[in-house]
Parts: sequence; C-alpha cells; structure tokens
Amino acid sequence: MSPYNLLPRFKAQYDANNQEFSISGVVRPQAIDELGPSLALLRDAIGRVRGVLYVNVRRLTQMNNAAFHAFSRIIIDACRARPDLRFVVITSSVVGWTSRKFGRLSGIEPNITVEEYDSEFYPGQGFLEEGGFVPILRTQTKMTWRHERTILPRHGMRPGIVMADICCGLGDFVVLVQKEFQPSRIVALDHSISSLDYARRVMREFDIRGIEYTYGDASEMLLDEAQFDLVTCRHSLQIFNRPELILKELYRICKPGGRVYITNEKNSHCLGEPRAESIRWTYNEVAKLFAHFEMDVELGPKSRRYLIEAGFEDIRVETFMVTNLDGDPQDFADVIVAWADVYAGDMATRRGDGPEFIARFRQGFQDHIFAALHPKGYAGWPIWVASGRRPQ
Amino acid sequence: MLMGSVHHEPAGEPTFEAMIQIDMEIKTFVSAWKHCDYVSTYMARMISQNRSDSVRHSNLFSSAFNELLEVAFRTRHTDGELACRVSRHGATDRIELTFPCVPEERQFYQEAVSQVAGFEARERYLNSVSGDLAPSREVVLLELAVDYNATLRVEEAEGDAVKLVVDLPLEGLQH
Ligand SMILES: C[S@@+](CC[C@H](N)C(=O)[O-])C[C@H]1O[C@@H](n2cnc3c(N)ncnc32)[C@H](O)[C@@H]1O
Repeated sequence: MSPYNLLPRFKAQYDANNQEFSISGVVRPQAIDELGPSLALLRDAIGRVRGVLYVNVRRLTQMNNAAFHAFSRIIIDACRARPDLRFVVITSSVVGWTSRKFGRLSGIEPNITVEEYDSEFYPGQGFLEEGGFVPILRTQTKMTWRHERTILPRHGMRPGIVMADICCGLGDFVVLVQKEFQPSRIVALDHSISSLDYARRVMREFDIRGIEYTYGDASEMLLDEAQFDLVTCRHSLQIFNRPELILKELYRICKPGGRVYITNEKNSHCLGEPRAESIRWTYNEVAKLFAHFEMDVELGPKSRRYLIEAGFEDIRVETFMVTNLDGDPQDFADVIVAWADVYAGDMATRRGDGPEFIARFRQGFQDHIFAALHPKGYAGWPIWVASGRRPQ
Repeated sequence: MLMGSVHHEPAGEPTFEAMIQIDMEIKTFVSAWKHCDYVSTYMARMISQNRSDSVRHSNLFSSAFNELLEVAFRTRHTDGELACRVSRHGATDRIELTFPCVPEERQFYQEAVSQVAGFEARERYLNSVSGDLAPSREVVLLELAVDYNATLRVEEAEGDAVKLVVDLPLEGLQH
C-alpha cells in the first residue's frame, strides 16, 4: 500500500472558456473549512457564468457526505436565486457512486441535470469497439505473442511482478503472460464492456486466477499511483487522438523504477511479395484513412519521442515483423481479410470514398493475402515495441 | 454451478464468510481524521481482489465504508475498542462495525436505523441535501440505504458499545 499522502488529494478548477467547474481526486474533509478555497471558487464561477455551468466530477474518485452537501448546497441555492441558470453535472460511468449520488440533485432542482460521460473518447472508437474487430484481435495476439514472449523480458517482464495491461481488449495477452511469466498480480483494464465480459468468461471457463479485469477509461483511471512494476499498453496508443494523455496515466500508475511497455504499428510499412506495389499503395492509404479519423497508425517509430516527452528514461525500442512464415499462413490471411472488411468497408464508406477507390483499396489487401498464401510468397506486418523506465 | 442444479440455502440467516478484521483502540482511531480514509481504502482493496471488477468494487466499498467510519469517529465515548469486520455471502458484503458509545447514542442509532427502513427514506434524504444542516449521522446512514441499497441493523454489543451491521450488495450495483 502506498504511504498515506498528507498533501491535499483533490483539486478544484474553473475553466472560464468552457464555463466548467471541475473537482477531482479524493475529497474527504473533517470540517468544511478545509474546502474553503474550492467552495469560494465555485461561488465565484456561478457569479460569472451565463446560461449553463458545467460541473465536471468525472475524475472525482471519492467525496464524503460532508463535502457533497457543501458543494450541493451552493448549487441548489444558486438555482433558487438565479432561475436563468442551468447546471449540468458530468459524471463518469466508471465511478459507480457519482452518478447515483449526483443524480439525486436533479430530483431536487429541475435546473440541474446529470450526464454520464461515456462514449466518444476518441474519434474512431465505434469502428474498433463494435465492429468486426473482436476475432481479428484474437488472431493478432496469437501472432504477435510468438515474438513478444521473447521480447518482453528485455522490457521488465519477470515472474512475481505486479503488472497492468491497459486497453487489454479480450484479455488474451494477459492470459498468455500469466501462463508464461507468472506475475504475482495482473490488473487488466478496458473500456469495452463486451470485451471484458468475454475476458471474464474465458477466465471462468479455464479456471484462470490472478487476473483482475476492470472497466475503466485509460485517460483517467481509478488505479492508484505508483503501484505497478510493469504497465503494458498494446496497439492502443495509436487509436487515441491524444496519445500523450494516455501515456501520462501509464506513467502515473507505474512505480518509480518500473517500466511502461507499448506496442504500435506503422501501417504503411506492411509489405509483401509478389505484388509489392499494389500492397504498398493500399497500406499507405490505410494510414491516411486512419488519419482522417484522427488515429495515427504510423505511431510505431514515434514511440521513442512520446516516451521521452512523457518523462521516461532508459528507453528501449525494437521492432519485429509478423510474417506468413511464423505459423499457419492462413492465420495471416485471416487477419488481412478482417482488416479489409473494416477498412475498405465501414471506414471507407464513412469517409465517403467512391467505388473506384474502394476497389483499388481492396485489391491491395487481396494481393497481401495472395502473397501470404503463395508457396514462394512473403507477407509482413511490422510492429514497434518500446519501453521506458519511470525515474526513481 | 451445474445447469439445473438447485442451490439449497440453510433456513434463516445465510452464512457469511469472514474476510478481514481490523481492531484498534478507539483513542488511537479518533486521534486523526485520516484514519477513516486510511482504513476504508485499505480494507476495500483487501476484500475486493476477488470481485468481478476489483478496482470499481474497491472504490464503491471504500466510499460506503468511509461514511460508516466517519460516523464512528464522532462517538462521544472514547474508551474501548473499535472493531471492523467484513464478511461475505455471494454478492453481498457485510460490514460489522463495533465501537464504544454512550447509552443515548446507542438509542439514537437504534432509532436512526429503524427510520432507514421506512418508506420515506429517499425523501428524507433529499430534504437533507437541500437543507441547511451538514449531514447528521442519521442522514449518513440514510444515504447508504438510498445510494448503495444497503440494509442496516443495530446489534447488541458488550459494555458501552454499539454494533452496526451493514449489508452492501455492491456486486450487483455496478452496471
Ligand atoms: C486496438 S484494440 C487493442 C486491444 C489489445 N491491447 C490487443 O492488442 O489486442 C484497442 C482497445 O482499446 C480499448 N479502448 C478504447 N478506448 C478506451 C479507453 N478510453 N479506455 C480504455 N480502453 C479503451 C478498446 O475497447 C480496445 O479493446
């Protein structure tokens, strides 16, 4: 357990541009005086706004009744004194009690509404969370694992450690890690309820112990600071439009001296022979397509810069290439089929691409599959692995 | 459990299995407010590890348990022991909090808990939120019932003490 922190563990802020008052952290005062400056800030904010004041409690992890009452009273009084004013309280779907507790306020004053902030974390979320991505992720993990199992020990993986896998998806990776390396504790977090349900079902069916799956938002996690020896985040930084925010959270939960391990792609470097040209063209277009939805699937080689800028030291970067020769070439082909389905399907359509473009776009995937299954062919999918140590 | 099998419950009270217990001198406990936060966070973490979502369960449990500890913190009788015990039956976690109190306080808790069970619990809670007074110990107990679906009762304890028994069905509360 981390030592008890005597510093104030909460923060109140007012953002005038967005008319948003936010309070975050653990708010458990003994006496209300301890909240003086924060309450004054809220009163002041109310005095300045017109129309709506947003009250953001998304990052509020704990608040005792005494504090809740103090803040609520100010808001309720303001509703009564200024009927022109509306309050929108924004809670997180992750912190169970906030929606219930703050939700009561709308029953007291109709001008208070409570919204659970949930979806739209990043622009392309829909494609990956609901789309046909589930089976692809499973096969992908199987293919990358062949490489990662020998790579991981160079990045801090060893028996007995406490680790977290953020954006864990279906949990296949942590299950493999558990078998191979036996960490003493694994926390695996994702924001897809269906993926977590799947992961928990697997855990029950195979009687796997020692993995704790949790529903959460990688950009603001309920996990405590400095508790993991190793934090992994695979194929996921590249889907957020602001990966540095996620990295900041990974840093926060990592122990000083521990490591954060990330894997990412550079899609335009997928390759194959024969039909290299067509394949190259299509994967260049894949990168542009993701960029259109504010996702950077070219992030791989930028990992070093991201890690340095996030404050890590002793940065290690390596690459590996998943190929059709690793195992069953059909696995490789299956993954490409699934990529083609989503990229040349839903995503291209959503961008508004015409039939001519889509036909050429599809052709490159077909050629990649052709190369993978060709008796003399070679097909590759390169991955960048990078890790950094949190300074002591 | 096998499909179609029937789970037989012994008649009456189900068996709660002990999970963890912390005892300390009430004098020590009330010497610093941070003990409420410290104990609730620690125990929440310990008992949540085998819940289906340990992190969120721990957050919810700590939130509820801290309120109870803050209630105990306000006791007027500062001699004797504080005992916190958590046990489990299925989706329900039971907190048993025993702490010294003066006889009037015991009476007060008995009344407060009997009111929690009343129909208008929710309304009384809402009134208190919009009211002037800082939440009383009674309101804190009400809130546990209203926001956490807790059931509460007071049990006999030896000497000048009271035992609050609070059942929290948090596992079912999460989504
Ligand atoms: C490309 S997948 C990678 C999954 C897994 N790491 C793997 O390699 O198979 C991205 C994952 O990030 C999850 N995700 C998206 N937004 C998230 C958020 N805000 N917080 C946590 N997870 C999120 C998605 O549900 C999805 O499982």
